[in-house]
Amino acid sequence: MKDIRHLLHVAAAFVVVIIGFLIARHLVVPKSFGRIGHYRADAVDEIKALPLRYAGEQACAPCHRAQAKAKASSRHKGIRCESCHGALQAHAEAPSSLKPAKPKEGEMRAFCARCHEKNLSRPAKFPQVDPREHNPGVACSQCHPPHQPK
Amino acid sequence: MHASYMETLREAMSMVSGYIYPNELELQWSVLIVLYPYITGLVAGAFILASLERVFNVTAVKPTYRLSLLMALAFLLIAPLPLQVHLGQPQRAFEIFMTPNTSSAMAMFGFVYVWYLMAVLLVEIWLDYRREIVAWSKSEPFWPKRLFYKLLTFGVDNVSPRSLAIDDKVGRALTVIGLPSAVLLHGYVGFIFGSIKANPWWSTPLMPVIFLFSAMASGIAGVLLVYMFLCWARDEHIEMPCIDTVAKFFLTALIVAFTLEMLETLQTAYEAEEHFDIISLLVEGKLYFSMIFVQMFMGSLIPMFLLGLCQLFELPEKVRKVFYSASAILSLIGILAMRWNVVVGGQFFSKSLRGFTTYKMELAGREGLVSALVLGFMPLVVLALLLYLLPPWGESAHRRKEPA
Ligand code: HEC
Ligand code: HEC
Ligand code: HEC
Ligand code: HEC
Repeated sequence: MKDIRHLLHVAAAFVVVIIGFLIARHLVVPKSFGRIGHYRADAVDEIKALPLRYAGEQACAPCHRAQAKAKASSRHKGIRCESCHGALQAHAEAPSSLKPAKPKEGEMRAFCARCHEKNLSRPAKFPQVDPREHNPGVACSQCHPPHQPK
Repeated sequence: MHASYMETLREAMSMVSGYIYPNELELQWSVLIVLYPYITGLVAGAFILASLERVFNVTAVKPTYRLSLLMALAFLLIAPLPLQVHLGQPQRAFEIFMTPNTSSAMAMFGFVYVWYLMAVLLVEIWLDYRREIVAWSKSEPFWPKRLFYKLLTFGVDNVSPRSLAIDDKVGRALTVIGLPSAVLLHGYVGFIFGSIKANPWWSTPLMPVIFLFSAMASGIAGVLLVYMFLCWARDEHIEMPCIDTVAKFFLTALIVAFTLEMLETLQTAYEAEEHFDIISLLVEGKLYFSMIFVQMFMGSLIPMFLLGLCQLFELPEKVRKVFYSASAILSLIGILAMRWNVVVGGQFFSKSLRGFTTYKMELAGREGLVSALVLGFMPLVVLALLLYLLPPWGESAHRRKEPA
């Protein structure tokens, strides 16, 4: 017994470390972890409780009939208003509380090129132009109405 | 911002060739991931060398026994760092332990690591040094160091012959457990690559075995080199029978590792599956220098030739020392190159098997060259500290009695 005391002390140290770990684990791991999957189940409710930032296209139409109507029949019909104007839930609830962004004249070319710049990795049928050659110096919207491009 | 982004893309596109997928443009596993299996391999190799003496009673290698253990510990302590730096979120490492995910190979590796560090290596070193620790805890003049030893005695200063004999038995049992643990530790690293089905350069069941044997070669080379260096630095004479034996094991590990690599290559070449074209382009092109020249010729063939000469002929001591250290240095470089060829090489070619991307190492960034050099040398700093705290030399170093 005397000759294995040091081993017992080390074993005790290990037990202390393991118990310490289990206590730390108990304290650190969120209570709802693992209830649904390998994550914190409460996260779902927390995310649900976050304020909405996007209103969705249907919300815009009643007030912006002209743009909605124009877009609905154009080739931009698949693009949501908020893809170009940013998240606008606050604006849709109270229009004067948030003035929506709108690409300015000077930024227009870079703005449209985001989707229309010629790029080999885009589908060949997708309408694309090389902004350095395609009518340089003039804002795209001068010739292509953004809500009804032609 | 947008225009500069397109410029970057244009520049990047000029560095790739053939057809690659967009997400392959940037090579994700950088030089730090090259370092990680390298350092882990040195751990496993050093430990396996130590266990030769302990488990298999190869008494000739005794002078390197403690050194091997300390080296294994020094490298093991640093091994996870390249991963942490690569991921950039070190605090998350603890989540592996807090909420273990059994289906993640990397997460389970955390447990192999802790098991090996805590239950095997630390305890084994402690058992082996206990007698000295007790003595130092009384005689050490520098009080912080004395306190350190005092703590390490765990409050027991009984070094009766019986207690030491028990320590020896427990230590031996631990090594018997430790050996498969060391194999597991490094086999695991190979497994991580070998189990990636989508990558034909990695996906082979031979990967863990190849990693393991090259790990042994590198670990043995490392210990051999450090041992010779320390003898030289401390002006002690090198135990020739010891390094002769170590060199023999070194040669064996090299031969097995090289043969396995060749077998694998041969198999790939003979099967010539659909990925063979891209792989042969890879080996003849981007990896030609680092694989054919550095890894195979410089890192395997020359060391095998030099070590083979030492086996075949009775070379004078001086020549043997030069040959041993040259082989050790060369194969340490060669095995680093092998890790590079696996890790970076495997990311050069596209999943489409029709194109290549490139890797431009940063100099100073988080995953840059400087960072890799610092991490690569850090184990040696830790080793120096360990040598200072637990000097492996001294008259009582070889107290264990010869096995009957
Ligand atoms: C409740 C009615 C209402 C709703 C819903 C609404 N808006 Fe508006 N919107 C307005 C009014 C009113 C203005 C004019 C405010 C001003 O000029 O200060 C305006 C202005 C704008 C402007 C800026 C016009 C300019 O010349 O600067 C844009 C762009 C816009 N809205 C987009 C949207 C989008 C996109 C949605 C849907 C997410 C939306 N709006 C929903 C009423 C609404
Ligand atoms: C392809 C991007 C794009 C989409 C999609 C888009 N817009 Fe616009 N919108 C613009 C641009 C660009 C302007 C600024 C035009 C200008 O300054 O000449 C603008 C201007 C406006 C204006 C200011 C008045 C005007 O017509 O100039 C309103 C209001 C507006 N958009 C609402 C909407 C609504 C509502 C939708 C969804 C039905 C929508 N937009 C979808 C790009 C877009
Ligand atoms: C979010 C991406 C996006 C942005 C931003 C965008 N577009 Fe488009 N554009 C599209 C898509 C999608 C189509 C339809 C492609 C199709 O039908 O296959 C399209 C079609 C077009 C067409 C082709 C019409 C035709 O009949 O050939 C023109 C012209 C065009 N857009 C101009 C613009 C202009 C000008 C702007 C800037 C105000 C702009 N686009 C901004 C996505 C975008
Ligand atoms: C000066 C008037 C003008 C300006 C400014 C202009 N375009 Fe055009 N764009 C045209 C005309 C006209 C056509 C149709 C004939 C053609 O293909 O050149 C066209 C065609 C296109 C098409 C359709 C190509 C296809 O293959 O269907 C796209 C997309 C387009 N433009 C995008 C842009 C974008 C983006 C900008 C701004 C960077 C822009 N345009 C600026 C006049 C203009």
